[in-house]
Amino acid sequence: MDWLSFTIYPVYLMIFMCIYGCLAIGLNIQWGYAGLFNAGLAGFFAVGAYTSAILTTSEAAGRLGGFDLPFPFGLAGAMIVSGLIAWPVGKICLRFRSDYLAIVTIGVAEAIRLVAKTEDWLTNSARGITGVPRPLGDLPYAQAQLAYLAIVGLILIVVYLLIERQAHAPWGRMMRAIRDNERAAVAMGKNVPVRRLEAFMLGSALMGLAGGLYVHLARTITPDAIDPMLVTFLVWIMVILGGSGNNRGVLLGAVIVWIIWSASEIVTDQLPAEFALKAKYGRMFLIGLLLQIVLRFRPEGLLPEKLRRAPLSEGALSPTGHGARIQAPHKEI
Amino acid sequence: MSALLKMKSIRAGYGEADILYDVSMEVAEGEIVAIVGPNGAGKSTAMKSIFGLLNIRSGTITVGGRDITGWSPNRIVNAGVCYVPQVQNIFGEMTVHENFEMGAFLRKGDFSASLDRVYALFPDLKAKRKTIAGSLSGGQRQMVAMGRALMLDPKVLLLDEPTAGLSPKYMEQIFKICRDVRAAGVAILLVEQHAKQALAFSDRGYVLAAGRNRHEGSGPALLADRHIAEMFLGG
Amino acid sequence: MDIFSFVNFFLLPGVVQGSIYALGAIGITLIYAIMRYGHFAHGDLATFGAFTALFVAGLLGLSPYAALPVAVVVAALLAIAIDWLFYAHLRRMPKIITTIASFGVALMLRSVVQIIWGVDTTSYTRGISRPENWFGIRVKPHELVTLLVVIGLVIALHLFLTRNKWGKAMRAMSDNPDLALLSGIDNNKVIAMTWVIAGGLCAASGFFLGLNTELRSLMGWNILLPTFAAAILGGVGRIEGAIVGGLVVGVTEELSVLVIPSEYKMLSSFAILLVVLLLRPTGLFRGKIL
Repeated sequence: MDWLSFTIYPVYLMIFMCIYGCLAIGLNIQWGYAGLFNAGLAGFFAVGAYTSAILTTSEAAGRLGGFDLPFPFGLAGAMIVSGLIAWPVGKICLRFRSDYLAIVTIGVAEAIRLVAKTEDWLTNSARGITGVPRPLGDLPYAQAQLAYLAIVGLILIVVYLLIERQAHAPWGRMMRAIRDNERAAVAMGKNVPVRRLEAFMLGSALMGLAGGLYVHLARTITPDAIDPMLVTFLVWIMVILGGSGNNRGVLLGAVIVWIIWSASEIVTDQLPAEFALKAKYGRMFLIGLLLQIVLRFRPEGLLPEKLRRAPLSEGALSPTGHGARIQAPHKEI
Repeated sequence: MSALLKMKSIRAGYGEADILYDVSMEVAEGEIVAIVGPNGAGKSTAMKSIFGLLNIRSGTITVGGRDITGWSPNRIVNAGVCYVPQVQNIFGEMTVHENFEMGAFLRKGDFSASLDRVYALFPDLKAKRKTIAGSLSGGQRQMVAMGRALMLDPKVLLLDEPTAGLSPKYMEQIFKICRDVRAAGVAILLVEQHAKQALAFSDRGYVLAAGRNRHEGSGPALLADRHIAEMFLGG
Repeated sequence: MDIFSFVNFFLLPGVVQGSIYALGAIGITLIYAIMRYGHFAHGDLATFGAFTALFVAGLLGLSPYAALPVAVVVAALLAIAIDWLFYAHLRRMPKIITTIASFGVALMLRSVVQIIWGVDTTSYTRGISRPENWFGIRVKPHELVTLLVVIGLVIALHLFLTRNKWGKAMRAMSDNPDLALLSGIDNNKVIAMTWVIAGGLCAASGFFLGLNTELRSLMGWNILLPTFAAAILGGVGRIEGAIVGGLVVGVTEELSVLVIPSEYKMLSSFAILLVVLLLRPTGLFRGKIL
């Protein structure tokens, strides 16, 4: 047994960490920068996965395909299609407070799942798409995994650097200004709806990218491959635990949450079979509880956004802006 | 004459910023007292500070000698001070009668005597008791707002700009109602934009500017002071 | 299609399903009205209520109908406990934070159901119930019970909100929270009452969903979208709107199979939601926009 085989599990973990890191940055743009509540990010992830799969696979009977495009085109397609789906959603919902966006994005994710399940010609429905190619996938297994980690890691670094540059450019400052005080931003002549829509589409495109990266790892995709609630929720807890508004924070969150999630799986896999299945739900319960604990004791996250002056006061922990009522000074309401 | 409601050297503000620096005033039984002054003087803020709606940094507020500084609105209402905010002062989706019932929320037992008294003060509203309050005219809404506050039989009624946006006819009517309320044994502290008219019918007045007391005295005396008239009452 | 098949195959099932949505939507709209946030754990609380009824019925050997009141009480208490544990301390924060917390609570509730009762489909009763024929209109007994109980609950709620002092206080808090506080209405009691009502109705909606279809750990999550669509269609904060909205969504879902493939039936509520947000975000009864 050569040394590479010992790296298989950690490498596998780290590839997922990078994919989740990409999702977390995408959500951070929406929630951390723009205060938008996307509760259906699994849908955008799935769109990315399917798009890249369709674009890069060879011809298969009965479904759209046979484009045989190289990997980068698959990823680009994933980003474009996810971003474009975000456009009408944002158009309709961004006028309102984020509760509406949340419920509509849940609907979008559901619609996408149903399309994947139903439309034979597009997604091959329940049988899914197989034989998705992977760059350097012809290498021996351990090397191929390592090579893919390098690719995914590199993409994540590029995404991080580009988004960080954007965040410190006037665009990022404007986003935060809109989030923290929408009225003032409007008064200064900022085009709030357009800026918000940009953030929503950009974030969704990154979620699509993550989906593309996932499908070339898994090399196959079926409608039930993604547990929408679980994926969505894990990314949310990564962003909130890490520190929404801070890309380094959300990446830290991705690392921590993914390690907790995977390590707990290793533990519960040791249990007898009848408990092992239930233990999965126990882990999900604990992830839900972790969110409550973070919201209670460290709502600004582990690495808070630096620009925020008063992390615990009204309006500081991201969000609402959107037509939020000025709070009465009574504390209880 | 003993002070019913007394504010002593109040310093207060929202969040970090102070708006009132040093405000003192008092209302005795059976008095109508007006707070006037330029925009941004802190008139409404002074009134809200009585109700614990902003952070009081120093000073005390007493009602009948009892210190109520920092109490919750709910306890202050029970202590006999009722407050009519300038805006959003009625339950617009509920009937006139239900507004009054909500005014009497803290009362235990029968409150029909208070209800009769309120309808006696506002006879117009008796016919509209089943009407949704939000559909009434501006003047009638102000009456609903005052009626709601009177349902607890307060000792002092605080009115924040009761005549804002009303026609002169309604303004006169509100002032007349204030006198009727006083006649029923309730003292009134009101903030007014229409300084001259308010001082003319008030027993006493306070002129506030930049978060501090500037002048005080009887209504007619303040009106007669040329300096005050020029500086604060619009000539 | 003659009138009888329209009523038997579309209208009646739609009304039954719609009244189930209405029960959930009333809770959603009340929580919005009093606390001003969207409560995303509503569906999973309904699942919990449905399984509680199953458990109680099995434990005591009761008919599921007798277990319903127990489930309602348990869910009402659970709702208060959830508020106390997870939402109460967030009241000073932007409202959307509580919505996020409720998303987490949804996951927790679902996990609890899955741990205790597993993920397999089950039902309250075995066998097929025969519909009664009333002059050509065929109603199954459990459908009749669903409609009667829902009507009863709605009347009781209406009387509470218009006749009872605390019911009026709830409306006052929804109408003008600042003035309600100035009138001495105890915010915490109103919030607790809101949770009792919303939680209880939630359990009832889960129970009737289970009675008319089947019990699954995802049953509540799957009605979250139609329930929200019903609340928003009716007008946020409007009880009567939630009822009408629920019925419209339920009937539309049933009728949708005439025009779209049945696989996409679940999306008709989503389409309604989008149309309402586009054309009339205050809903049919001029509700609040948050």
